[in-house]
Amino acid sequence: MATCLCDAFYDDVACATVEVLEHLGCTVEFPEGQTCCGQPAFNGGDWTASRRVVRHAVRTFAGSCPVVVPSGSCAAMLFHGALLEFEREPDRAAVEDLGRRAWELGDFVVNGLGVRTWPGRYAARVAFHRSCHSRGTASSAAAETLLGSIAGLTLIPFGEGEQCCGFGGTFSVSFPTISGSMGKLKLEHLRAARPEVVASGDMSCLMHLGGLAGKEGRPLRTRHLAQILRDSLRHGGSPS
Amino acid sequence: MSEERDEIFARVRRALAPLPVRTALPDWDPARIAPGFAAADSCTLFVERFREVGGVPLSSRQGLMAWLAGKGWACGYCDPGLWPELRGHFPPQMEVSTSLRRARIDDYAFAITVASGAIAETGTVILTDRDTPVRLAALAPWAHVAVIPRSRIHRSIACALGAMPDDPNIVWVTGPSKTADIEGILIEGVHGPGIQAAWVADDR
Amino acid sequence: MKEQPIDRFAAELEASRRSAVYEGTKATHEKRTRHLAARFAEADVLRRTAGEIKQHVVEHLDRYLPEVEVKLRQHGVGVHWCSTADSACATVLRILQARGVRRLVKAKTMLGEEIGLAGYLERHGIESVETDLGEFIVQVDRDHPSHIVRPIIHKSRREVATTLERIGLGTYDDDPSTITQRIRSHLRGKYLAADAALTGANFISVESGRVVIVTNEGNSRFCLAAARLHLVLVGIEKLVPRDRDLALLLNLLARSATAQPLTVYTEFVAGPRASGQADGPDEMEVVFVDNGRTEMLASDCRDILRCIRCGACLNVCPVYRQATGHAYRSVYPGPVGAVLSPLLAGSRFPEWADLPKASSLCGACNEVCPVDIPIPDLLLRLRARGKQEGGPQARIGTLPMGLWSWIAARPELWRAALRAGAALDLLPLRLAPVPALRAWSKDRDLPAWRGGAFRRWFRHRSRL
Repeated sequence: MATCLCDAFYDDVACATVEVLEHLGCTVEFPEGQTCCGQPAFNGGDWTASRRVVRHAVRTFAGSCPVVVPSGSCAAMLFHGALLEFEREPDRAAVEDLGRRAWELGDFVVNGLGVRTWPGRYAARVAFHRSCHSRGTASSAAAETLLGSIAGLTLIPFGEGEQCCGFGGTFSVSFPTISGSMGKLKLEHLRAARPEVVASGDMSCLMHLGGLAGKEGRPLRTRHLAQILRDSLRHGGSPS
Repeated sequence: MSEERDEIFARVRRALAPLPVRTALPDWDPARIAPGFAAADSCTLFVERFREVGGVPLSSRQGLMAWLAGKGWACGYCDPGLWPELRGHFPPQMEVSTSLRRARIDDYAFAITVASGAIAETGTVILTDRDTPVRLAALAPWAHVAVIPRSRIHRSIACALGAMPDDPNIVWVTGPSKTADIEGILIEGVHGPGIQAAWVADDR
Repeated sequence: MKEQPIDRFAAELEASRRSAVYEGTKATHEKRTRHLAARFAEADVLRRTAGEIKQHVVEHLDRYLPEVEVKLRQHGVGVHWCSTADSACATVLRILQARGVRRLVKAKTMLGEEIGLAGYLERHGIESVETDLGEFIVQVDRDHPSHIVRPIIHKSRREVATTLERIGLGTYDDDPSTITQRIRSHLRGKYLAADAALTGANFISVESGRVVIVTNEGNSRFCLAAARLHLVLVGIEKLVPRDRDLALLLNLLARSATAQPLTVYTEFVAGPRASGQADGPDEMEVVFVDNGRTEMLASDCRDILRCIRCGACLNVCPVYRQATGHAYRSVYPGPVGAVLSPLLAGSRFPEWADLPKASSLCGACNEVCPVDIPIPDLLLRLRARGKQEGGPQARIGTLPMGLWSWIAARPELWRAALRAGAALDLLPLRLAPVPALRAWSKDRDLPAWRGGAFRRWFRHRSRL
């Protein structure tokens, strides 16, 4: 699943995801009918609307293949959120089935395929932002395992790493003041650590942080986990 | 039995009736929650943890008396049960009484009471109504000295809970009374003692 | 689109107040994290176990409530049951009046705040003095607590010093130590003169009928040293099955609330004082309060009844840190408040339906919760309920999702929309027809629209 964000804005992340999976020997299919995981309406409380979208995803991704998503947030929607809104629905089993097959990319590579080290080279100091929807899952640890194993790449810690970037989907629209303050705080912590690249498993966090930084006139170099993995393979040298 | 009682109970039953399964009570292992202190004996561990929570450990009667003398207090209280053993050892000019008069409550700078036991894991002193017959003594004076029988130091909270005395009032005191309500700044001695001291004594 | 009240509150908040709350909560949260990690290898296992214990209690209240009632009566304790806040206030008043009580000292109880007890007693001629330092300041300032554990986290020492001067406790001095000493001597007189003491209860053990009360200041202990009557005000959910379960819960409560191994004063009260004891109440009465809890029990949000009021979710919550407690308009602020307040409101739920939206659903609250309450899931359920029940508070700041979901279930329309979205790039965002996008882009750049680019790349590639 490419995610609607990559579909609309971040095509390169989706491309990188495909290349990373193919490098590992996977055959990647992209069902053209896919749209979204249903999360915006789910978070907004409109579960009727959200279920409509989830049902569409269930149909689109029918079968037995793992569904790999370059987003902890969309993955969590499929294996956790959707189950909440389908608790009393007759087709809950189909949703559960999709949930069992849904993986966040880093989690899939490390815990699904058993890959623990990543080849190539990526010479950069990288601050990895653990996106919130990966809490309680193996995703952040998996991403850090992979990134930490890349030659030339240094993972650098920063303050209040457990705190949210302030995006939260529609939250950032309905609560512009609080969301903006949260994001700016995150930027302060990140900048204090002086990374060359800010990475995450979720483009939504990076879009928020990058958008805030851009408006401040101090652009932030952001890369998705998939892009770093691919670039490490491709360039074997400095980040593209 | 009141009408409201029956209504509440009925609502509770109605709310729970539709649950297809109910959560079972987990059978957890108390040993799991207090790791990391296998080596030390309970008394040593208590003294270490008591110090960590801001307590003042005293190791002997002489130590207690020297400590009291150093404070220069004029007036204090001593549990009547301890009096035979301690009388005659207090610093000269120190007024020590074996009854606590409420009218003079602010005059007592310290009180020495009998504790029922202690908890090593947390540096906690255990007081009960039976062994500490004047609740205010352990509370109102600025300093409280608990005399703890060495044989009654429990290893952990779980052990202490497993051996709760049959007493209507048991209080665990872990360090001096304190607050961080004002700007998060730690201040000791809010309502209770600003100093908690303890003397682990051989059983009498 | 109308502003969210909590966001507006945050926007209008004084910077000093925000930074006081931010620094205070951050320090406590970080201390908690260090504390748990230092002593417990398996802190998460403990949290989950404690959560199961409390969930078990909540789901077996039909059995435990009658059992604990029997135990308490065996200890000579009077037991009362109240369905509503009004009934609880009236019951307390009746008990006090029947014994001629004029002066009451109170230890901190969130339930007391919830039912508005202090004001009620005052209106009925009973002096009711808060003895927790923070609550005392809140009471004399006629303010409201802004944190479950630290009621005056929003106030500076200068404000507190000004308050003391105003009520005649010495000339202005903002040294926290002096402030504390002045309140200490002022409240001494109150304790000794009081006819009765009212406390909450952190836990009641069904097995032993022991009422567990914890404080750091020792104020509840002082209440129980001098007064003749001990009244306990407690929610019906505050039970634990066995004494041994307290080993886990007391440990987690202290560590989660204030990063201590154990609260300074942990009292186990099973009835009036023992014969031979000089101090302490001759009589003990326990008032169990429902006030909406059975309704929560019947709902899909019953997990919130596990809450042990430690405040850890407030301390970690980025929204609480930015907005501060008063933004939540309720006794219970922060993530737990965003769940509890709408549920406690009963039929007035719609008025509180904006609270569950005040969260980025980041899940930090669940991660620190000592009883592992899935707070984000509960917030989501309440959002869904808000949507169903409508009401203006539920609608503000909410994007209409009907059209979006209709398109998202139709792939050909979705693809067309992806292609058409490119128009966004041609339009200055300030002029965008969607107000939400305008608000978002006030502080943020939007990335360039690349709708359909990946699909073209993938199709092209597969043809190679």
